[in-house]
Amino acid sequence: MSAVLGFEDVAFAYAGRPALSGVSFAVAPGERVALVGRNGAGKSTLLRLVTGLLHPTSGVVRVGDWDTARRRPDELAHRVGSLFQHADQQLFARTVADDVAFGPRVTGIAAPEVAARVERALESLGLSDVAGEHPYDLPPPWRKLAALAGALALESALLVLDEPTAGLDRRARDRVAAALATRAERGAALLVVTHDLGFAAETLDRALVLERGRLAWDAPIAGLLTDAERLEGLGLVAPPLARLSHALALPGRPVREREVARALAERCRA
Amino acid sequence: MRALHPFTLIGIAVVLPALAWILPAPWGGIATATVALGLCAVGGAGSGIRLLRVALLTAAPFWFFLFLLHGVGGMVTTGVRLTTMIASFLWLIAVLPPACLVEAMVAAGWPASAAFLLSATLSAVPALRERASRIVDAQRCRGLDTRGGPVARFAALRALALPLVLSALHEVDERALALETRGFTPGVRRTPLAPPRDRPAERVVRWGMLVICVGLLVWRIV
Amino acid sequence: MADRVSALVLEGVTYHYPATRTPALADITLTVDRGEVAGVIGNTGAGASTLLLVAGDLVPRVLGGELTGRVTRAGRSALLLPTPWTQASGMAFTVRDEVAFGPANLGWPLERITAAVERSLARVDATHLEARDPATLSGGELQRVILAGILAMQPEILLLDEPTAELDPAGAVAVWGLLRELAAEGTAILVATSDLDALPDAADRILWLAGGRVRAVGSTRDVLSDAALWSEAGPGSTAVAGAWRRAALDAPPPLTVADAVERVR
Repeated sequence: MSAVLGFEDVAFAYAGRPALSGVSFAVAPGERVALVGRNGAGKSTLLRLVTGLLHPTSGVVRVGDWDTARRRPDELAHRVGSLFQHADQQLFARTVADDVAFGPRVTGIAAPEVAARVERALESLGLSDVAGEHPYDLPPPWRKLAALAGALALESALLVLDEPTAGLDRRARDRVAAALATRAERGAALLVVTHDLGFAAETLDRALVLERGRLAWDAPIAGLLTDAERLEGLGLVAPPLARLSHALALPGRPVREREVARALAERCRA
Repeated sequence: MRALHPFTLIGIAVVLPALAWILPAPWGGIATATVALGLCAVGGAGSGIRLLRVALLTAAPFWFFLFLLHGVGGMVTTGVRLTTMIASFLWLIAVLPPACLVEAMVAAGWPASAAFLLSATLSAVPALRERASRIVDAQRCRGLDTRGGPVARFAALRALALPLVLSALHEVDERALALETRGFTPGVRRTPLAPPRDRPAERVVRWGMLVICVGLLVWRIV
Repeated sequence: MADRVSALVLEGVTYHYPATRTPALADITLTVDRGEVAGVIGNTGAGASTLLLVAGDLVPRVLGGELTGRVTRAGRSALLLPTPWTQASGMAFTVRDEVAFGPANLGWPLERITAAVERSLARVDATHLEARDPATLSGGELQRVILAGILAMQPEILLLDEPTAELDPAGAVAVWGLLRELAAEGTAILVATSDLDALPDAADRILWLAGGRVRAVGSTRDVLSDAALWSEAGPGSTAVAGAWRRAALDAPPPLTVADAVERVR
């Protein structure tokens, strides 16, 4: 089975200051991976290595069978859809729909297919009503959604997202979660940097934890979130449902709302 | 060069273009342009060559249009004057940190709002450049190919120009609001935190430059 | 409980941004007392940011628009915007200078400024950053530094718009704790946030804004237990309340892990 993304003993330093060292992991198609860690742990640097904006100081980053060091970011865009922080500043077309269409168009997809993908992406994030609006007329959180729609419309094998839910309200967060789940079901791999461990618990399966540039943990997310000691050691805080699960010793230690609710109901009827 | 008082640096950046226009063409302009470009090469603090390149590249389109309009003679006369202006301004931005300018103005009694306005002008170019590079990065990750011939580059520029201008304008709005949240009080004098040292020799030089300019202007008119 | 002194009062406030027909805020009446932490919740576009701008005297003074109703402030207010990179002065070499920016604009003597800067940096746990260039800070570090800059102005009324948006969970917990400390020292605090899980411990009262209007206002417990929060257009409530509701257990739902553990036992 070929990995969609592979890091092989990757190190990176900014002008002599080490940011990442000895990072190795692989992501398979359809896998949903959370990249977590304290501020400054190296998460954004890692994402920039995936998109080809940075090349590793040593080691290899592979997207599919491509070595990112031999590819330009615009080539990698055929395989990687990305959303950076402050994505609301990168929008430029006259309408939201045009902006979402930019990526698919520029990567050479035929016009009718571009239109179809744009519609699907906008629909999945609840932006169909504002498709004809000027991006800068939208409030910043919705601009971020528009930028995410642009990444989704690429329908690439790998999606890398930096804090996709920061600043979003519940409705928008739920839409993002649903849209990502749909893409993963269709085979896309997800690598999501997030501080929102509640969102990560609901939407993602595996956690990569970066600490001071090193990979300190790589395993299913549920196991991480219910291990209070390990979390504390990594400078993380367990989300409320994981803490509840642990405090009540719910069977199976669920961390997702549906499963926690079911376990709660059973406990209270007992 | 950063050790010089901000007013001295501004003085130099203003005197050079002034002399370029006052002194007899084309040698006056050629001399000042050379000095200004020389300052760029030296003042960039390590990236002097890059600064020089930016200055030359910024001036190049003007030379082209001047050639079309005025032929070689006109191109050189006005071209060196424009180059002096561009190079002086870029040099000033490189060597004068906005923080120093604000401190100098406030210490000299200027109202804080005037100081911020002027220093925002100075920091606008590097801020725009940084923002532009972030936007280009995002567009490249969406598939925009930034290499290629003039046509491709022009298309790439279009994809960059609008978000750059729009988001920059938007940010100007936001920053104007944000500055208001940092304690502006009408009628209150801002406390100088670290006023730059103004050596008597520098003051002499500044007045000297002004006198020379005025003198030359009078001499040319008369 | 001792009588509270009101620090910020809005009476019947309606506000239109320039050249808009729909008001961004309609008929808002709100009081925030000294020593109280009041939270504002609501969906994007509900008006929370605008409410803070009104409370901080930035609107209509700076942005224009039309304001009717009355706003009374007892003391100086200071506002933390949700975008620290915009709020940074851009004119400071070091974090220390950045934090001193506000107090310097207030015209304080240098000794007072230095003391205020040191104190605020310590309170946000950013003393180790004091010599750094603000332009090299990460989003989370910058947010803490700007917060220090706002605190250094020693406001009687503290207004915050999503103060933990850029912070990691540990940093967020520290900020909420800091707000409680500041309230205990007498500061009136109005904070808009989408981090609902933090509110039961951090806020005394909650204001739920929807479409520019007050949808509900009351104690944190009362407002966050409201089932209406979970409607299609509502901001929801805490994660624990959500799971309890989904389990179809008896209302009102517990809001925190500790509450839930009590209820279940």
